[in-house]
Amino acid sequence: MSALRRHRRLTAIWASEPGWKGWFSTVNHTDVGRMFLATSFFFFLVGGILAMLIRAQLATPHSAFAGPEVYNQLFTMHGTIMMFLFAIPTFEGLAIYLLPKMLGTRDLAYPRLTAYGYWCYFFGGGMLLFSLLAGIAPDGGWFMYPPLTGPIYSPGINTDFWLIGITFVEISAICAAVEFCVSILRYRAPGMSLDKMPIFAWYALVTSLMILTGFPPLILGSVLLEVERAFGLPFFQAELGGDSLLWQHLFWLFGHPEVYIIFLPAAGVISTVIPVMCRTTLLGYGWVVAAAVALAFLSFGLWVHHMFTTGIPHMGLAFFSAASTLVAVPTGVQVFAWIGTMWKGRPELHLPMLHILGFFVTFVMGGLTGVMVAIVPFDWQAHDTAFVTAHLHYVLFGGFVFPILAAIYYWLPLFTGRTRFFKLGELAFGLIFVGFHGTFLAMHWVGLLGQRRRIETYDAEAGWTTINLVSSVSSFVLAIGLAMVLLDVLLHFVVAVRGRRNPWHAGSLEWAMPAPPPAYNFASLPVVETRDPVSSDPHLAVRLARGEGWLADPALDRRETLTVEPSSGTPEYMVIYPGNTRLPIVFAAITGLFFLSLLIKVYWLTPIALAGIATVGWRWVWSLAQPVDLGPQEAGRGERLPVSGETDRAPGWWGSAFLLAADATFFGSLLFGYAFLWTVAPGWPPPELLEPSLLELGVGLAGALVASIGMRIAIRGNRSRGTGVAGLAVALTGTAAAALAVASLMIRVPAPAGHAYDATLFVLGGYALFHAALAGLMQTFLIVRVRRGFTSPARRAEFPIVCLWADYLALVTILVLVVAHLPGWLA
Amino acid sequence: MTDVLRILVAPLVWLAAFSGVYGLHGVGCAFGWADVELLSISLFRVALLAAWGAAVLLQLSLIPTLGSNRFGSAAPFVRRTSVALAWVGLVATLWTLLPVAVMSACD
Amino acid sequence: MFAGATLILAFVLVLLALAFRPRSVPPDERGQTRFWIIGLGLGFSMTILAALLAYGLTVGERLLPRDSAETVAVRAVAERWSWSFGYEELPGHVTENVLHIPAGRPVDVAITSVDVVHSFWVPRLAGKLDAIPGHVNVLRIEADAPGTYDGLTAEFNGEGYEEHEFLVIAHDEADWQAFLRGEAP
Ligand code: HEM
Ligand SMILES: [Cu+2]
Repeated sequence: MSALRRHRRLTAIWASEPGWKGWFSTVNHTDVGRMFLATSFFFFLVGGILAMLIRAQLATPHSAFAGPEVYNQLFTMHGTIMMFLFAIPTFEGLAIYLLPKMLGTRDLAYPRLTAYGYWCYFFGGGMLLFSLLAGIAPDGGWFMYPPLTGPIYSPGINTDFWLIGITFVEISAICAAVEFCVSILRYRAPGMSLDKMPIFAWYALVTSLMILTGFPPLILGSVLLEVERAFGLPFFQAELGGDSLLWQHLFWLFGHPEVYIIFLPAAGVISTVIPVMCRTTLLGYGWVVAAAVALAFLSFGLWVHHMFTTGIPHMGLAFFSAASTLVAVPTGVQVFAWIGTMWKGRPELHLPMLHILGFFVTFVMGGLTGVMVAIVPFDWQAHDTAFVTAHLHYVLFGGFVFPILAAIYYWLPLFTGRTRFFKLGELAFGLIFVGFHGTFLAMHWVGLLGQRRRIETYDAEAGWTTINLVSSVSSFVLAIGLAMVLLDVLLHFVVAVRGRRNPWHAGSLEWAMPAPPPAYNFASLPVVETRDPVSSDPHLAVRLARGEGWLADPALDRRETLTVEPSSGTPEYMVIYPGNTRLPIVFAAITGLFFLSLLIKVYWLTPIALAGIATVGWRWVWSLAQPVDLGPQEAGRGERLPVSGETDRAPGWWGSAFLLAADATFFGSLLFGYAFLWTVAPGWPPPELLEPSLLELGVGLAGALVASIGMRIAIRGNRSRGTGVAGLAVALTGTAAAALAVASLMIRVPAPAGHAYDATLFVLGGYALFHAALAGLMQTFLIVRVRRGFTSPARRAEFPIVCLWADYLALVTILVLVVAHLPGWLA
Repeated sequence: MTDVLRILVAPLVWLAAFSGVYGLHGVGCAFGWADVELLSISLFRVALLAAWGAAVLLQLSLIPTLGSNRFGSAAPFVRRTSVALAWVGLVATLWTLLPVAVMSACD
Repeated sequence: MFAGATLILAFVLVLLALAFRPRSVPPDERGQTRFWIIGLGLGFSMTILAALLAYGLTVGERLLPRDSAETVAVRAVAERWSWSFGYEELPGHVTENVLHIPAGRPVDVAITSVDVVHSFWVPRLAGKLDAIPGHVNVLRIEADAPGTYDGLTAEFNGEGYEEHEFLVIAHDEADWQAFLRGEAP
C-alpha cells in the first residue's frame, strides 16, 4: 500500500463529519483539543475585559463607574473565569491536542469522554456567562467564603450559579485528568519506557494526578454549601453546629494545589521549549521529573497558609509556613535546570524564547514575594491587600500566561502548517511585558501602603491616586499587547504561507507527522528508542507514512491503536475505538439539565434528568459490545496482540481505578469534615446522637461483603464456565442489602436540618446510597450482557471493572456505618 | 505500575505523616491535652515528637529499600528517581514537622 | 527582606543574560548537573529558605501573647458593617466603632462576629486576625503612644465592605482612668 493510499484510507476511517456539523459528533482529540483552546481563549478575553473594567474603576478615587453590587460581581467573575474557565481548560485543551501526538499514538484513551468533557465545560461555562450578562453573577469573591455566601446573607441565585456552574465545569477537569493518567501510562508508542517519555507528558501526568486529588475537596464543599442553601442542611452555620472554617479548609485544600495545577503544565511547556530553542537537551531530566513530583506533593501541605489569620494555633501555622518555604526548593531546582539548559546550549531569541524570558523575570519575582507571604508575621500585614493580588498575578501571569504564549507561538506551525508572516508578535511581547509589570508592580506598592483588595473605591486622601492611575494605564497597555497577539494568531490562520515541517528542529514525536496533523496522527506507530526520536531519525516522518511502524494496515476499517506496559513500553494489547457520535453532547446536555434543575429549583425535573443520565450512560457502555471472540489480532511488524475486551485490565478498569482515586479523595474529605466539625466547631457534641442499631449495621456489613464476594464468584464462573450470572445475582443481593442499610441510616438521622451532625450523617448515608445504586446498575447491566451473549471466558474485561466498583462500595458502606454508629456506642 | 508507585511512595508517606501530625495537633489542642503533664514534660509534646520520630525513621528506611535489588525497580531511571524522591520525603518530613520541637503547642 | 529578594532576582537575571554570551562549552553533563541542580537548585535555595524560615518562626513565637499583669482585656464584635467593643474592666459599657485602649500597655482583643467572616486590622498596631462566627480569636495589640489609629475590616464581607472601618483611641494613663470611670473622654 502506498503512503498516499494509506493516508486516504486512514482519513476515511478517522475523519469527523465534514463542516460545522462535525463539531457536534467529533470525538477526535485534535478537534476537541482545538475546540477546548478556542473556548478557553474566548473566556480569557471575557476575563480580560472584566479586568479592564476593574482597573478602570480603580483608576481614580471615588469613581462613579461601578457601585459595590456591580464591582463585587466584576472581581468575583474575573477571578472565577480566569481560574476555572481559562487556566484549567487551556491546560486540558493543550494536553488533549498534544499528548497523543507526543506519545506516538492515535488518540487518547476515551475519545467520547474527551468530547463529553468539552461539552460539560461548554454548557457550564455558558451558565456562568449567562449570569454575568444577566447581571446576576456570583459576587462573594472567587473563594466564596460562607456565611457570606450562605442562604442568609446571599439569598439570591448569584451564588448558586457559582456552586452549580463550577461543579459542572469541574466534571470536565476530572474526565480529562482520568483520561490523561490512563493515556500517559498506557497509550504510548512501543518502546517508549518511562525514561523516554517527553517531559511534557511527565508534567501532564503529575498535573492530572493533582487534579484527581485536588478538585474533590472543592466539589464536596460546593455540594455541601449548595445543599445548605437549597435544603437548609447546616454545615457552615455556627448557630447549628456548623463551621465556616470547614469551607475554608475544603476550599484551600483545593485552592493551593490549584495554583500548581496551573503552573505545572506551563513548566512542562518551558521544559519542552527551552531545549529546542537552545539546540540542546534538557539538563537533568530525571531531576526535573523528581522536582515536579515533589512539587505536586508538597503543594498539598500548604493550604493553611491562606488561613494564617483565622486564629489557628501557632504551631499549626508553623507546619504550613515551613512547607510553604520548602516548596520553593523544587521550584528552584527547575528554574536552575532551565537556566543550566540555556548555558549548555546556544539560546536563540525566537518569539517563544522571548515569552520564556518574560516568564523567568516575572515568575521569579512572584516566587520571591510568595516566600515573603509564607512568613506568618509578614502575611498578617499583607493578607487581603493589593500586595497579595499583585503577588498572585506575578505567579499566575508569569507562571502561566507567558509560558502559554510561548506555547502558542511554538506549536502554531504544527497547528496550521504555516509560518508567521507579520511580525506583530515581537511588538506585542514588548507591550505585554511592560504593561504587566507596570500594572502589578504598582499594585505591590499600593498594597504595602495599605490598600485592601476587593474595594470598589478609595479616598483621595489615602495618597494612592497616582499609583492606581499608573497601574490602570499600564493595564491598558497590557491589554493592547494581548489583543495584538490575538490579531497575530488570527492573521496567521488566514494569510500566512505554508511552512516547512518541524521548523524548530525539535526532537519529539508531534513533529513526525504532516502539519496540520491528519486525523489519525501517525499512519503507522513509531518504535521509540530514544528520548528524542525525531532528532535521532530525521526521516522518521516519512518512514511512518510509508507504513514502517506498528498498525500500518488499515484493512479492517476500524480505529485502532495499541497500549503498552507502563514502565517498559512493551506492547500489551490493541484498542479499537468507537467512531463519531453525538452521544457525548447529548450526555452533557442531560447532565446540564440535572444541574439546571437544581439551579432553578425545579425539583421534579431532577429525577427525570437522573434517569436520563442513567439511560444514556447505559447506552454509552452498551455500544462497546463485542459480539464474538476475536482472538489475537495482527498488529504489524509480524506481531499479534489481544484486543482490550479480551484482557483482565482493560482501559475501563484503569479509568475506573483513577476515577475511584478521585472519588476516595472526595469521601476522605467528607470524613475529614466530620472529624473537623466534631473537634473544632462550636455547638458540639450534638444534642442527640444516632441510636446505634445492630440490625442495620449487620445487614449493611454483610451486604457489603456479599457484594464484593459475589463479584469474585462471577469472575470465576465466567472464567471456567463462561457465565457469571449466579455470582452477579449474589453480588446484586449484597448491593441491595447495603443500600437498604444506608437508606435506613438516612431515615433514622434525627434532624438533618437541625444540626451539622445530623446533616453530615445524612450526606454520608447519601454518598453510600449513591454508590450502591451505581454498583447495582452496573451489576444489572452485566447480567443483561451475559444473557445476551456479549461475554465469554475470553471477553471478560467487564467483570473486573464492576468488581472494582463493588469493592469500593463495600469499603464505603462499612466506613459510613461505622463512623455513624461509633459515637452512639461510645456515649 | 509498581514502578509508578515506587516513585510516589516516599512523598505519600510524607503527606500521610504531615496530615497525621497536623490532625493530632488539632485534636490535642481542641481537647486540652496540652495541659496534661508528667514530670513537668507535656505528654502532648512527647506524643508529637514521637510521631515525628516515627515518620523520620520510616522515611530513612525507604531510602535503602528503594535502592535495593529486592524492592527497588529494575529500570535504572525509576530506581534513581525513586531514591531521589525518598530523600525528598526525608527532608520534607524533617523540615515541615520541625515546629513540633521548637514551637509552643497551642497558643 | 526586599533587599534580599532584589539581590536574588538580580543574580538570576545575570545568569540568564550570561547564557546568551557567545562561547564554546565543553559538553560535561555531569558537572553541569552538579553545579546547576545540586549546587544552585538544592544548596542555594535550601540555605536561604532555611534562614528565612528560622527568622519567621522566631519572630512569630515572639509575637505570641504572653501573660502579664499589665494586660487589658477588651472584646470586639463584628457585624455588617460596624464594630462594637466591650471592656472587661467596665462591664456593660459598649462603644460603637471606636475602641478605647490605654497607651503603653498590652491589650488583648477577643474578636468574634455575629454574622459573616470579618477581619480586625489596625495596620499600625498589629497584623490581622479574623472575626469568625462561633469562634473567639485573641489578638495582642499595643500602642506605644497616645493617639488615634485607623482600623479596617480586612475580609471581604459584602456591599458595605469598603466603608467598614473603625477607630482605635489610645489614651494616656489619666484619660484611661477617666474612661474606666465612665466619663467619656
Ligand atoms: C489580563 C490581565 C489581568 C489584569 C489587568 C488583572 C487585574 C486584576 C485586578 C485589578 C484584580 C483585583 C480586584 C480587586 O481586588 O478588587 C484581580 C483579581 C484577580 N485576578 Fe486578575 N488580572 C489579570 C489576569 C489574571 C489572570 C491571567 C488570572 C489567573 C489565571 C487572574 C486571576 C485573578 C484572581 C484569582 C483574582 C482574585 C479575585 C478575587 O479577589 O476574588 N487574573 N485581577
Ligand atoms: Cu497557596
